[in-house]
Amino acid sequence: MRRAFSTMGTMASIALPDAWASEITELQRIFRAIDERYSLYLPDSELSMIASGRTLLADASATLLASYARALEWRSATGGNFSPHRPDGTIDLNGIVKAEAIEQAGEYLTAVGCPQWSVNVGGDILVSPTGGATPATASAAPLVPRVMRAGIAEPLSPTELLCSLKLRHPRRAIATSGSAQRGDHIWRAGSTGPVSFIQVSVVANDIVTADVLATTIVAGGEEVLDEVTDRWDVDVITVDRSGALRTTPGLLRALSPTA
Amino acid sequence: MRTRAILGSILASTSVLIVGYQAGVSVTMSDGTSLSLPVDAATNGTTGSTSGGTSTSTDGSGTETGSTGSSTPSTGTSTEGPAASGPTDGTYTGSSVSTRFGNVQVAVTIAAGSITDVTALQLTDDDGRSIQISNRAAPILRSEVLSSQSARVSNVSGATYTTDAYLTSLQSALDQAGV
Repeated sequence: MRRAFSTMGTMASIALPDAWASEITELQRIFRAIDERYSLYLPDSELSMIASGRTLLADASATLLASYARALEWRSATGGNFSPHRPDGTIDLNGIVKAEAIEQAGEYLTAVGCPQWSVNVGGDILVSPTGGATPATASAAPLVPRVMRAGIAEPLSPTELLCSLKLRHPRRAIATSGSAQRGDHIWRAGSTGPVSFIQVSVVANDIVTADVLATTIVAGGEEVLDEVTDRWDVDVITVDRSGALRTTPGLLRALSPTA
Repeated sequence: MRTRAILGSILASTSVLIVGYQAGVSVTMSDGTSLSLPVDAATNGTTGSTSGGTSTSTDGSGTETGSTGSSTPSTGTSTEGPAASGPTDGTYTGSSVSTRFGNVQVAVTIAAGSITDVTALQLTDDDGRSIQISNRAAPILRSEVLSSQSARVSNVSGATYTTDAYLTSLQSALDQAGV
């Protein structure tokens, strides 16, 4: 079964075997709790309290500090192209929190033994190690790992597919960043020039890496694209301003329509 | 130098290299004569195919020589002594070959008459900068992704949807279809 619900300013779409449908409630709770802590749209979220100076960072919860520390590590690793700070200095963990929420949802589903699932929040997707969710109702039935195909939206015309690719363990996560829909959450490090890529999708073994690096490449442009593909074990497809495409060899292989 | 010419022809035509590997014999030299390389036929045929190369399979110009280290034959296989016409042991450097991905130059190491290593020495981009053979993203044509558009998908990845944008998105359609 598949359930879509609104959360964190976007939509989550979860696919699970029917027998596990009741877990949707807990997943919604996980997302809500994260949103209530990190949203800068909710004036009383913990992060809003810090942003407005009502709470000192030193007094923040261990959970928030852990996310912030993780985001700072990514900032260092990406030479500042990914940043948890807005240009005015406000801490904004939007760039990592959604991926962390997907990660937590995945950990939860794994912990309760849900055999096959996919979690898509705002276009960032993680699937179970055994592939996408099967419609089978019997949770005890022997599982055949399923190759799940994920589509990538065409940036200039989001109702069309640019392409589709296989997501298969260990490459379980795909995230797409771009200026097409919500470019405002990407801050260009030290530059106000136009982005060279209007959309970047990164396929990785975990969703946080995929999400952060997709953002990083959009922010940093061509030079950073090469750096990222040299340093991290990821597959990438980019769309530049003229609509031209680039892919890493691994992504090109994943495009193949055959299973 | 004869061996140099042999290696030049290997570099110029990966297909010959691969065929030579799998057959274990017969590399055609640029001057039209052919030479037997006593490459161990037991070597796994796939080791010569340099599949991790620079995704140049479409241009057919033999630039797949770029993959480093992928042609090392397994050790311990029965290698016969060099044939009379076989090349002398040593490392030979090929000439630089211009490809649409930049300049490629490789070195081949021969021991006991077999190619034991192929190393990329040079791969430069258009600016002449040296780049390593890697996982880098290369331009592809839209036609190369076309066939994947019609495959059935269960999720769509896109730049973050706002809730409004979601309503008109493909993901919304998939969610309603419950697939």
